[in-house]
Amino acid sequence: MDIKTIEYKNIDEVMHTYEHKSGLKCFVIPKKGYSKKFATFATHYGSINNEFIVPEETDVTRVPDGIAHFLEHKLFEQKDGSVMDKFSQLGSNPNAYTSFAQTAYLFSCTDKFEDNFSLLLDFVQNPYITEESVEKEKGIIGQEIRMYDDNANWRVFFNLLDAFYEKNPVKIDIAGSIESISKINKDILYKCYNTFYHPSNMIIVVVGDVDAAKVFEQIEKTITVSASKPEIKRIFPDESDKLNKSYVEQNLAVSMPLFQMGYKDVGFASKGMDCLMRETAVKILLDMIMGKSSKLYNELYNEGLINNSFEFDYSIEENYAYSAFGGESKDPLKVKERLLEEISSLRDKGLSMETYERIRRANKGRLVKQLNSVERISHNFVSVYFKEINLFDYMEVYDKITFEYVNKVFEEHFSADRLAMSVIKPT
Amino acid sequence: MTNTVLSENQISEIASFNGIKVYQIKTNKFKTNSINIFFHDNLSRENASKNALLPAVLRRGSVNFPTIQDISLYLEELYGAAFDCGVTKKGENQIVQFYLDFISDKYANGKADLTNKAFDLLFEIITQPVTENGVFKKEYMEQEAKKLKELIESRVNDKVQYGVDKCLEVMCENEPFGIFDYGNIEDINKIDAANLHDHYKYFLETLPVYVFISGDIVDEQINYIVDKLKKINRGNIKTLPQVSVEKHVSEVREVTEHMNVNQAKLSIGFRTNTDPKSEEYYKLMVYNSILGGGLHSKLFQNVREKNAMAYYVFSRLEKFKGLMVISGGIEISNKDKAYDVIMKQLEDMKNGVISDYEFEASIKSIETGINSLKDSQLQVVDFNLSQIIAGTQDSPDDIIEKVKKVTRQDVIDVAKKIEMDTVYFLTSK
Repeated sequence: MDIKTIEYKNIDEVMHTYEHKSGLKCFVIPKKGYSKKFATFATHYGSINNEFIVPEETDVTRVPDGIAHFLEHKLFEQKDGSVMDKFSQLGSNPNAYTSFAQTAYLFSCTDKFEDNFSLLLDFVQNPYITEESVEKEKGIIGQEIRMYDDNANWRVFFNLLDAFYEKNPVKIDIAGSIESISKINKDILYKCYNTFYHPSNMIIVVVGDVDAAKVFEQIEKTITVSASKPEIKRIFPDESDKLNKSYVEQNLAVSMPLFQMGYKDVGFASKGMDCLMRETAVKILLDMIMGKSSKLYNELYNEGLINNSFEFDYSIEENYAYSAFGGESKDPLKVKERLLEEISSLRDKGLSMETYERIRRANKGRLVKQLNSVERISHNFVSVYFKEINLFDYMEVYDKITFEYVNKVFEEHFSADRLAMSVIKPT
Repeated sequence: MTNTVLSENQISEIASFNGIKVYQIKTNKFKTNSINIFFHDNLSRENASKNALLPAVLRRGSVNFPTIQDISLYLEELYGAAFDCGVTKKGENQIVQFYLDFISDKYANGKADLTNKAFDLLFEIITQPVTENGVFKKEYMEQEAKKLKELIESRVNDKVQYGVDKCLEVMCENEPFGIFDYGNIEDINKIDAANLHDHYKYFLETLPVYVFISGDIVDEQINYIVDKLKKINRGNIKTLPQVSVEKHVSEVREVTEHMNVNQAKLSIGFRTNTDPKSEEYYKLMVYNSILGGGLHSKLFQNVREKNAMAYYVFSRLEKFKGLMVISGGIEISNKDKAYDVIMKQLEDMKNGVISDYEFEASIKSIETGINSLKDSQLQVVDFNLSQIIAGTQDSPDDIIEKVKKVTRQDVIDVAKKIEMDTVYFLTSK
């Protein structure tokens, strides 16, 4: 077994990696002294993959919206009942999540790691889906969809994605709709499973006080697939650089308006170090422009145009990238106006090198803090891995990034004609 | 990875003076250190809104850092240290919390001396607010009062949380527990810069204070912190009243609230009549775990897995006031059906219809939960604060031992003390 070990001495972390003959990539990040052991088995398959060509086929397969998430629910069902019960018997907490680009199955335990890990490896590799259980699940997922329909923060965010994109499937709710899931059946679920759950399209990440060699041995013994599978052709609609809509509004039972706005990004690299550099640069810029230490934040806050709910972030994936910021405001359009003024004024004056340097250092410190949590490490590791980024590369980026580069990204990203806005108003 | 890891959760009381208790949780497991300062008051109409507004005004600025911008800039200089403050309630205690965490010096180029700097900032925010004419700055007070009112109004935005909180508030509307920890709009309207400043004196001089210092912090730094805390001018320390958990219900109340919603929330509140200090409490923990404390629980298995009526459904304890609440999100038309399934689970609990799987998985689930909290600095602090409030001195391992001794008969006995009080239904218009 060929195990590679990388040490990150300046942050006291180590990562062990090993590649199974099936193409499955495995990672162990030991956390000495931690009680929790956290294992994730994830596939590079999420809600955006609703059109693809199965390896060795020629026709395009189009599947109902929400199917990746539906499959995530159904995988817990096994021939002899729900695998959740078996985890519960061991006292551990199984869970799973579907995001735009990944589906991850995981558990957290403080005891009997090997038994739990064996359950995880087993159930993710052995689906047992019946028509009857598919129909039953439609009731449960139906309530999940209804819950999100009432969630104003969720709605305001998806409405912003709808403003950004005309066709990109990222704008579709991860769980789909009551209507789209009604079309899901056993056969389509198996087809998606067989396409995307081959080990060569997956990774395993274990974080906690474990012995890496033992973890890899268990994988070696359990996973019987030997050959890697040809690449899956993922199809994405062509999307123009322009906004789909510049403004979207919805009414919900909220106390005051909620808004999200942001810039649709274009011309970005979606993989590797270049992608990471851009993400880091936009995040630094957002802090410089509207973070709590900025002039704009303080003015908006003092004038009562934003409150403590105000937040900002940047996302970058294979086919989309955008910044998003918002919260509650009595006058979202005024916030937009002030933001545009501030960006234009920063363009004239130029960014401050001193501010940049202070925020770069602060963000690097915040990154170190995230290494306290086994969940955070696991989640973040998975969410960047399929972009060909290793979580620990982030530390390096903060040392490599330059003020010149951040200035260049400032010019590219904050373009007024790609600024969209979504508002939820009280009913 | 050359450091030896210190044994878990070594909490020690370092100092106790003037109604201030200082605890150290020594650990080098984390890459951060944290300082938490808690002021305890009892929940009351008189003080709740002022206690909620006070930290919001204090965080606006201090003498040397007079604006949010100044504080934030300094936090960035301290390698991205995080500061926050706010209020929570535990039982009928209203707790005002000030929190700061920062990376260990070794990750900040060695000699950054972050602990003393971070504590100085926190201390200054609490003890040296920006004032004008001897009272709080009017502008800050008024802006924060407005934001606090917005926060109170925005409770309806999160329907899941609202469905739970509202049930318990309605149920305890004639008890201090029914007071929202962020106060209420009517009382906030009566606050001005002067009476809030009077309240600040009461707050700083008389409320019991608990300080937790967590991380790899040396004695010199601890002494520095203790010496500074001794400089706070303190008066007669307030004694907080005892909370009564015993209440018997003569008639179950039903309350329905209408909103523009797609999904209904059904919440049911109970009196457990179980004191958090008593041995009975560990039995109640097991009872709750079997009923609705996870994937193994009766509620999850029956309401969700068997009947597919909900995506989420759970039961939860409010330890300090002896309450329990069941809550789930359901189809509006399914109210009666869901209610019946829930009632059946409660009956089964009383009659001891509990499978080996349900019983054993429940105990293991509690054990895992308690062992897991050791991995979070904040949760270790919260665990110890909860011990103080409950008046118990259990370590996490003590609790696990006690829970493991609970028998099925214990669970049946505890079930018989639990009384249903209020059914709250949030539904469409």
